[in-house]
Amino acid sequence: MTMTDPPARPPAEPAIAPRRGLTDRQKDILQKFAALGSLLVLILVFSLTSGAFFTVSNGMTIALQVTSIALLGIGATCVIITGGIDLSVGSVLALSGVVAALGVKELGMPVPVGMALGILTGAACGLLNGLVVTVMRLPPFIATLGMMLIARGVALQITGARAVSGLGESFGELGNGALFRMVTIGDDGFPNVAFPGIPYPVILMAAIALAVSLMLNRSVLGRHIYAVGSNVEAARLSGVNVRRVVCFTYVLSGTLAGLTGCVLMSRLVTAQPNEGVMYELDAIASAVIGGTSLIGGVGTISGTAIGAFVIGILRNGLNMNGVSAFTQQIIIGLVILLTVWIDQLRNRR
Amino acid sequence: MPDGASAGLRPDLPHPVRAGEDLLFLDAISKEFPGVRALQGVSFDLRRGEVHAVCGENGAGKSTLMKIVSGVFAPTAGRIVYKGVERRFSSPLDAEALGIAIIHQELNLVPHLSVAENIYLAREPRRGFLVDRKALRTNAAACLARLGVAIDPDRPVRGLSVAQCQMVEIAKALSLNAEVLIMDEPTSSLTEQETRRLFKVIHDLKAAGVGIVYISHRLDEMAEIVDRVTVLRDGHHVATTDFAATTVDEIVARMVGRSLEEKFPERTSRPAGDCLLKVEGLARSGVFADVGFELRRGEILGFAGLMGSGRTEVARAIFGADPRDAGTVTLEGRRLDIRSPRDAIAAGLAYLSEDRKAQGLAIKMPVDANMTLANMEAVSNRFGLIDFAREAEVARRYVDLLNIRTPTIHQPVRLLSGGNQQKIIIGKWLFRKSRVLFFDEPTRGIDVGAKFAIYRIMDELAAEGIGVVLISSELPEILGMTDRVCVFHQGRIAGILETARTDQEEIMRYASGYGPAHSRH
Repeated sequence: MTMTDPPARPPAEPAIAPRRGLTDRQKDILQKFAALGSLLVLILVFSLTSGAFFTVSNGMTIALQVTSIALLGIGATCVIITGGIDLSVGSVLALSGVVAALGVKELGMPVPVGMALGILTGAACGLLNGLVVTVMRLPPFIATLGMMLIARGVALQITGARAVSGLGESFGELGNGALFRMVTIGDDGFPNVAFPGIPYPVILMAAIALAVSLMLNRSVLGRHIYAVGSNVEAARLSGVNVRRVVCFTYVLSGTLAGLTGCVLMSRLVTAQPNEGVMYELDAIASAVIGGTSLIGGVGTISGTAIGAFVIGILRNGLNMNGVSAFTQQIIIGLVILLTVWIDQLRNRR
Repeated sequence: MPDGASAGLRPDLPHPVRAGEDLLFLDAISKEFPGVRALQGVSFDLRRGEVHAVCGENGAGKSTLMKIVSGVFAPTAGRIVYKGVERRFSSPLDAEALGIAIIHQELNLVPHLSVAENIYLAREPRRGFLVDRKALRTNAAACLARLGVAIDPDRPVRGLSVAQCQMVEIAKALSLNAEVLIMDEPTSSLTEQETRRLFKVIHDLKAAGVGIVYISHRLDEMAEIVDRVTVLRDGHHVATTDFAATTVDEIVARMVGRSLEEKFPERTSRPAGDCLLKVEGLARSGVFADVGFELRRGEILGFAGLMGSGRTEVARAIFGADPRDAGTVTLEGRRLDIRSPRDAIAAGLAYLSEDRKAQGLAIKMPVDANMTLANMEAVSNRFGLIDFAREAEVARRYVDLLNIRTPTIHQPVRLLSGGNQQKIIIGKWLFRKSRVLFFDEPTRGIDVGAKFAIYRIMDELAAEGIGVVLISSELPEILGMTDRVCVFHQGRIAGILETARTDQEEIMRYASGYGPAHSRH
C-alpha cells in the first residue's frame, strides 16, 4: 500500500458523476483503506519528526491511551448503528470508577468485587438510558444528556467532589500491569526493561473489540441491531424485539463505560469524580471517523478501532512535537470534519 | 423511434418536430450507476401544451430519466436542450429556476409549515429581513384559486389529505411559473373523484401552454388526458406514438416486450372447507368495530373498501402491529393472544405492509439479510451465531423460486425495483412458513409483468393450503383474484360477498355505505 495514495483520492472525485463499476462492498473496502491509509501517513509523519515516536515503548503508551477511547467507541458504535446516541459515557465512567474505589476503600471489598460493582453501576446506568429511550420514548440525545448530568452529579456527591486515594497497590494492577513484561537486573543493580509488556488494558480492548465485532457481524443479535438502525418499523414487523435490542446497546455502552472507568482509575490508583469529561465526544468521533453513520444502520468495530487510533496517535504525536493542547483540539476538530466530509463524498450520487 | 438518430450539434436540425415547437428535448441520454446501466441513449421530446406519458415497467428507467430532467442526476452522456439552449443542471434548483418542476410520487412537503409557507418555501416574499406574511398569503391564495381548490393557505400541511397535498405541490409548481411539469404517479393514492379534479387541472395547465410529463402505471385513465406516449424498457427507448394511434394492450406489450393475454392467472386453488383463521368482535375505539370474518384453508379473501375504511387497520391489529380494544383471533381452533408482531409471527401470521420502503424492508441491508430477518433462528446455531452458508442457500432458493432479479444475493435491496422488493418480502414470509398471509396493496407501484407474477404466487400459496388476505383498492384485482370479499365501510364490515356472484357496482355500493341492493337475483 502506498502512503500517499488513499487520502488524496476522494476529494479529487467529482461530486456528481460516481465512479463506475464500484460495488458497495468495494467502496467499503476503499473507505477502510482511506482511513487506514491516513493512519499510516500519520505514523510516517510523526516517525520522521520525532525520534522517540516509533519505539516499542511509545507504541505501548499509545495503545494504552487509545484503550479508553476505543472501549467507549465500541459502545458508541453499537448505539449509533441503532440510530441512537450516548452522551452519558464520560460521566458514567467517572461514577463507576468512584463506586469501585469507594467499595474497596470504605466497604472493604476485595478489588475484583469493587471493580465488578463499578462495572455493574455502568451497566445499570446504561439500562436506565435504554429504558428511558424505549419505554418513556424520549429522544436518545435527551435521555443520555440527562444521564450525563445525573451520573456526574452522583459521582461528585458521593465523593464530596474529592479524589478517592490510598486505594492500595492491588487497585492499580488492572491499569498498570502488563503481560510478558521482561525485566532484567543489570550489573549496576538497577532493573532494565527489556520489553515493557502488553498492558492489561490493551489486551482487554483487543478482546472486547473482537467479541463485539463477532457479535455485530455473525450473531442474530448483531443482525437485529443493524436491522433496527436500517428500518425500525420493518424490523418490528419482522418480529424483532426492538425494545430489547435498543436497550442492549445502551447497556453495552454503559458497561463498557464502567469498565473504562475502572481501568482509568486503576491507572491513577486514585478515583477522580471529575475524570472523563468530554470523553463521550471522543467516543462518538472515533466511531464517526471509522465510517459509522449517525443516521443509523451503518458502522463497524474495525472502523471505530481505526478511528480511535487516529485520535490517539494524533494526540501522542502532536504532544511529542510540542504542539500545545489548544492547537491539538483544533487539529482533531479539523480531522473529524475532513473524514466525515470524505465519507459524504463517497456516498453522494 | 423518431428521435434516436439525432446526433447533430444543433438540436432542431435532424429532429422531425418543427423547430420552436420543442419545449424540451433530451438527446441520447445515458446514465450509469455502479453496476447498473439505468439508461442507454434515450431520447425524448416535449412540446408546449401537451401531456406526454412515459410508460415502462419498474426499473425501465422512467424515474432516472425524470431525475435527470429535473437536475437530481447528471447524465453520463447525452444532451438536455431546453427552449433551444443546451443546459447542464447541477442541482434541482437550477432546473426549477428555469421553469422545470417535478412532483414526486412521495410528496415533498414540510408537514409543520402552513400551505402558503410550503408553496413559497425558500422563496418567501420579503420586506427587508422579514417575511412579508401578507404577500405570502395572498400569493398562495391566488395560486390555489387558479387551480380551483378550496384549501386554506394558513392550514398546516400536516392535516391535509394526499390529494390536497398534491394540489399544494401543483400550486407550488405554478408559483414557479413552471413551463415543464413532471408528475410521477400522481393518481396512485387518489380517489376517483380526486382524480377527476386533478385531470381538470391538467387540462387547464395544458391550455395555458405548460408541457406535462406524466408517469403512471394506470394506463386505463390515460386516454382522457394524454397526447403522446413514450415507452421505455430496460433503460432503452422502445417507441413514441400519439396516444390516439395506439391501444393500451399495445403499450403493455411494448412495456413487457411480449403480449399479455390476461391480467390475472387462472386460479388453480380451491378453498378447502375447514376454517383456518377466525376473527370475532375485533374493535379499536374510533377506528373499527365489530369486525368478524372467517378465512378458510386455501382461500384468498379480499378486503375491499375506500381509503380509511379500516381495512389496513384491521389487518395490522390482527397482526399485533397496532393495539386493539376487544375481539378474539383463532387460528386452527386455537385462540391466539397476540400482543406484538412477534407473537403473530410465532403463531404463523404474516403481514406484508402497503408501504414497502417505510415498513417492509431494511433497505440498506442486502437481499439475504432481508430474506431471513423474520426467521433468524432457522439460520443460526444455539449460540445465536449466523450460519452464513445456510443463509446464502436460503436466499438463493427463494431468489430462484420467486424469480427475483438481482445481480447477487448481497445486493442492498434499495437498488432493486419495486416488484423485486415485494418478492423479497414474500420470500421472507415463505421462509417463515407462515400459514396466513395478509397482502396489503401488494401490487401498488409495481409493473404489469411483476404484478402477474405476484398474483401467481398468491394462487400457488393458496393451493398449498395457506390462507391469503388480499387488501386492495383496485377492484379488478379483488374480482380477479379472490374467492370472497369483505367490504369495509367506516370501520365495519358492510358485507361479505362471494366474488363469483358479485361485481364492481355491488362492492362499491357496500363500500359507500348503501348496503345490500334491493334484492339482486
